[in-house]
Amino acid sequence: MATAPRTQYTAPAQLGHWLVVLLIVAAYAVAWTMVDLKLSPTKLRLFNYHKWIGVTVFALAALRLAWRLGHRPPPLPAGMAAWERQVAEIAHRLLYLLMFAVPLSGWLMSSAKGFQTVYLGVLPIPDALGKNAALGQALTEVHEALTWLLLALVALHAAAALKHHFVDRDDVLRRMLPQWRRRS
Amino acid sequence: MSLHVRTAVAAGLLAVCGLALATPRPLVAAKSRIDFSVKEMGVTVSGQFRKFEATIDLDPARPEASKAEVIVDIASLTTGDADTDAIAVDKPWLDKLGFPKATFRSTAVKSPAPNRYEVSGVLTIRGKARPIVVPLTTAAQADGGLLATGGFSVRRSDFGIGGGEWNEGDLVADDVPVTFSLTLGPAAR
Repeated sequence: MATAPRTQYTAPAQLGHWLVVLLIVAAYAVAWTMVDLKLSPTKLRLFNYHKWIGVTVFALAALRLAWRLGHRPPPLPAGMAAWERQVAEIAHRLLYLLMFAVPLSGWLMSSAKGFQTVYLGVLPIPDALGKNAALGQALTEVHEALTWLLLALVALHAAAALKHHFVDRDDVLRRMLPQWRRRS
Repeated sequence: MSLHVRTAVAAGLLAVCGLALATPRPLVAAKSRIDFSVKEMGVTVSGQFRKFEATIDLDPARPEASKAEVIVDIASLTTGDADTDAIAVDKPWLDKLGFPKATFRSTAVKSPAPNRYEVSGVLTIRGKARPIVVPLTTAAQADGGLLATGGFSVRRSDFGIGGGEWNEGDLVADDVPVTFSLTLGPAAR
């Protein structure tokens, strides 16, 4: 039985997308607050919250990827140029890569610095690395570089979505928004 | 064999090798360590003291004559993280300026089984002295030395370690497990 091609992301795909948006915003807000604080109970709490958010993003990214493999996104608008499609494809792949790489680098840097990640304070995530101050510093720089790259990509992603919506006036942004059924 | 006879035999042995017992085994600092771990929000942060002295005179034949004294240099604390180290030896915590040394001095030693000891003593941290019993296991080394290992738990609140904001809302666990592994050189003759 043939069905018309999707014009919308599925509800779970949308939920995953917007949850990750919220969590990434929260993770950045917490990170920018915590890094300049002098070591204090507040700083410890914020670091732990930041790490828990990272673990959550990683898990959601895995779920989203699995869902995406079984539920392909709706096709891009017909009017898009080949290079635009290519850039969109690369940007989305990088976004997925960074949803994994940023939390992973954070986990590794924490391990090397001697602070295990214990999800929600109860679920210890094994350390992959032993304590090593120099490696910890190097991984901190990797984590920071990756977060800046992620930020740049998110900015590009959001700008592109807005351009599609307001300039091209296509349905690219609406595909990721819930369709409220009109009752008329 | 009655206790009296046993004591007499032990005393005889003691007389024979009395000189050797008078000099405790020297601590091999490079092969000795004192570790601790602090738990915050479920996260175990481990550290160690790099500098300490230990005078341990274990007498298997007459355990109650054994003596142990350990003096730890508070400033030698390290967790591998400079910020954490700075807090740990700061005034609210171990206060390295006010109380540069933590000490353990034995008051009574029992040996419930061969190579096992229960060392009762007084642990002094931040100038506060508390009685404590430290279990200790010894293992003879190939070079004639002795490896003494054991562990105990320090309740921070007993010694006032880490006050104020750090004690709010169970952020940092009160119990701080400490383990030690002390290598003692061959007995001097």
